[in-house]
Amino acid sequence: MTDAPFPRDPEAPRPPAGPPPAQPPSYHPGSAQPRLNRPVYERYPQIRPTSGYGDPRIRHTGPGPGAGTEQEPERSSKLSARLALALTVLIGQLWGLTIVVDEWMSGDTGTAWWGAGFLVLSFLVVLGLWALDPKDR
Amino acid sequence: MSVTDPQPPAPDAGADAAQEALRDRIAADSLTTRRDYLRIVATVSGGLAVGGVAVASGILHRHGDADGTPQPKRIADRILPGESLAFRYPGDEDRAIAVRMEDGTLAGYSAVCTHLACAVLWRKDRGSEGELYCPCHEGIFDARTGAVTAGPPPRGLPKVILIEQLDGSVWAIGTARSGESLQEGLCRQQGDALRLCQGVSGPGAAAERSERS
Repeated sequence: MTDAPFPRDPEAPRPPAGPPPAQPPSYHPGSAQPRLNRPVYERYPQIRPTSGYGDPRIRHTGPGPGAGTEQEPERSSKLSARLALALTVLIGQLWGLTIVVDEWMSGDTGTAWWGAGFLVLSFLVVLGLWALDPKDR
Repeated sequence: MSVTDPQPPAPDAGADAAQEALRDRIAADSLTTRRDYLRIVATVSGGLAVGGVAVASGILHRHGDADGTPQPKRIADRILPGESLAFRYPGDEDRAIAVRMEDGTLAGYSAVCTHLACAVLWRKDRGSEGELYCPCHEGIFDARTGAVTAGPPPRGLPKVILIEQLDGSVWAIGTARSGESLQEGLCRQQGDALRLCQGVSGPGAAAERSERS
């Protein structure tokens, strides 16, 4: 399917090629406005490091760091999903270690080594989840 | 008051400002991001992987894992029905217990609970014919087989192979792990030296032994 509503005249000169489509800018965390990326103690010098829910000067704690300033908010949910996946793998590793100990103590060394391989592979998976998108926070 | 309102100066601000700043810094909430949590999870995961490889390599001590073939050891002149005897076999760190049940059955086990390594005791007043009992977390083992009958232990007790001579003396001659029968354990340690093991020693049995060792 073409964008033109009618077939192009083969005798007509071709229109000049337009500029190549712009590539999306490289991602960097925070806002495009540098003033919004200043640390909290510069943006709100009245807030002390111990300010929190118990601080009477703060009536609304807000939705959290980065809210409203992130260029790609979906990265936040992806980071949460990666953290949830890593925690799930960690729970599987805890179970696997009990199996490795049980098989080793029962005398089944071969199964214990298979379990150790499972633990190492799980660690590599977590390492990959950690190394993915290192700019996310 | 909004967050941009200026704060009134504290009356003793000049006096102990440094101490106040120090208290603020110590009491401040740590800004731990999700990426920090991910790094911590990766570190713990690596530790678990290293631990698994270490366990499979043999960092944990198993009952009877001694260098060489264990030698027979006389542990008692006589064990009366209903009585038990604590001893160490084959090494000094291998605590074991021998039990003579009321019907005359003689059984020997590791005295280290497979749950958290507490001492296992013989309680002849428990159960129908007595049982091996771990008081730490109520772990119970069957006195005839060493299998777990109740409680949190994940596997049965390793066995100590006992024989009784005609004069009533009791000897320990070998050990078997939790997943082994007495014959498998004895043949693993003694090899083909015993006539009992010559029938089971073939290519398959040898492969199983190497797999288990």
